[in-house]
Amino acid sequence: MMGNERYIATMDLFPQEDRDHNKLYRFYENLRDNKLTTTKCRECGTVKWPPRSVCPECMSENLEWIEIGPTGKIEIFTVEEVGVPEGFEKPLIHALVALDGYPLTIFSRIVDAAPDKLTEGMRVGLKIIEIPRDRVTFAFKPL
Amino acid sequence: MRKVALVAGGMGPWGVRAATLRDLIAEGAKAAFDDNKNIRPKDIEGLLLSSAFPERNCFQTHTAPLAMEIAGITASKLIGRVELLCGSGTLAIQLAYAHIAAGLSDVIMVVGAEKLYMPDKWETYYNMQAACDRDFDNIHGLGVPPPLFAMIAKMHMKKYGTTEEQMALVSVKARKNGATNPHAHFRQPVTLDEVMTSVRVVDPLKIFDCCPVTDGAAGVILASEDRAKDFTDKPVWIKAIGQASTHKNSANVPGFTSWPNLKMAAADAYRRAGIKPDDVDVAATHDCFTISEIIEYEDFGWCEKGEGGRFIEAGLADVGGKVAVNPDGGLLSCGHPFGATGVRQAQEMMHQLRGDAHNQVKDAKIALQHTLSGFVSDSTIIIYGRDE
Repeated sequence: MMGNERYIATMDLFPQEDRDHNKLYRFYENLRDNKLTTTKCRECGTVKWPPRSVCPECMSENLEWIEIGPTGKIEIFTVEEVGVPEGFEKPLIHALVALDGYPLTIFSRIVDAAPDKLTEGMRVGLKIIEIPRDRVTFAFKPL
Repeated sequence: MRKVALVAGGMGPWGVRAATLRDLIAEGAKAAFDDNKNIRPKDIEGLLLSSAFPERNCFQTHTAPLAMEIAGITASKLIGRVELLCGSGTLAIQLAYAHIAAGLSDVIMVVGAEKLYMPDKWETYYNMQAACDRDFDNIHGLGVPPPLFAMIAKMHMKKYGTTEEQMALVSVKARKNGATNPHAHFRQPVTLDEVMTSVRVVDPLKIFDCCPVTDGAAGVILASEDRAKDFTDKPVWIKAIGQASTHKNSANVPGFTSWPNLKMAAADAYRRAGIKPDDVDVAATHDCFTISEIIEYEDFGWCEKGEGGRFIEAGLADVGGKVAVNPDGGLLSCGHPFGATGVRQAQEMMHQLRGDAHNQVKDAKIALQHTLSGFVSDSTIIIYGRDE
């Protein structure tokens, strides 16, 4: 469905990413520059994932973008074989990825990998993926 | 705070149903009214509908007045829909309880209804993607949790030595219990071998480790102390409620093999009810996956942390065991139409304490229901007592 020319807005899995529709558009612009980023509050220093438009600690809107990752290691992974949602290819590999240099572990898709070659502790790096309607998303791939 | 009781409750047939959302709502409301002929629609002052996906699966919003009209009710005190994904039903009952306990109303109906099975199966799975953090989790195809619970199972196995066989035994128990439940989606018992050799969904979970995609509805009626006694000589009392939520996004999960939201909500509910974990005779816990029920034995304090696998193995969760867990078959056997599950649990706990359940736990006095929702995000708990 996602690959079709016909665009059904309410069935779109991915958010509107551009500056006309999303206050966090910089996140996606940064992805295009091969950078995984999140926000840091300029007032109180709080860093949160996912990124924010308002700091949940001090309610400031004065936030800056900082780079996280782009490498890390697989803590644990699993391979989804049944019920893979439309728009994703089978087998769908899910993993908990502990990012380097920032205390954050995020769930992500692992791409460009054969399931039987994956191991816990394996090093992975950011992979930018183009998606329909001129948008981008991210996953990780083995280094 | 005034005392509040369940005075009626029932569930419709659950499964892959030739029925629309409005058909299901009618079945849930009818099941509650059929359970207690002393209560008629004109007695009901308000209705809370619990439903998680009506906009997505049925293209219908403003659903509570629809339910009200179908149930023949005119709401003079309360009308609305409650959504907390899998916890919707339990939360709806908690809110109706609070409304009555505060003296704002006397008789409230809660209907839980969910149309989940779509003619094109991809649509069911696709729509479930709406459940996670859309912008930052759904983009990975994460959706509602089989992959999450598969990873939780792996971690629990690694940390505590829990085995796939022990997980499978939860499914065997659920199917055995569900065999006597005329409303359950699956009523065929399964053997350990059948669970172990069933289709692998997400390693290490097999298809029988997972609750199915199910349509269904259930209904309960709550009443204040004074009104309860007008309707029944066997009211089932809400002794306490507890609820906690710790996060939304997958990166912010505070614990995978133990759930802080469950422990917080349970501690609060136990304290308010004035009971200890061992006082619970019968429980409806959130067995969305077999591993979930194992973690729940532990986090509810029915066994030591890490002993959940051995708890099921020793038969301690059976009817006649230490705590009869999911004697109606739970989510694994009944199915899990999200918004209806908590209401199904409530009516089952009510029947258990009244002594008229299909798979009756002998002399049950204290019952507990628990729903877990989201990315192991929230726990919503109600404790019931047979005696006032």
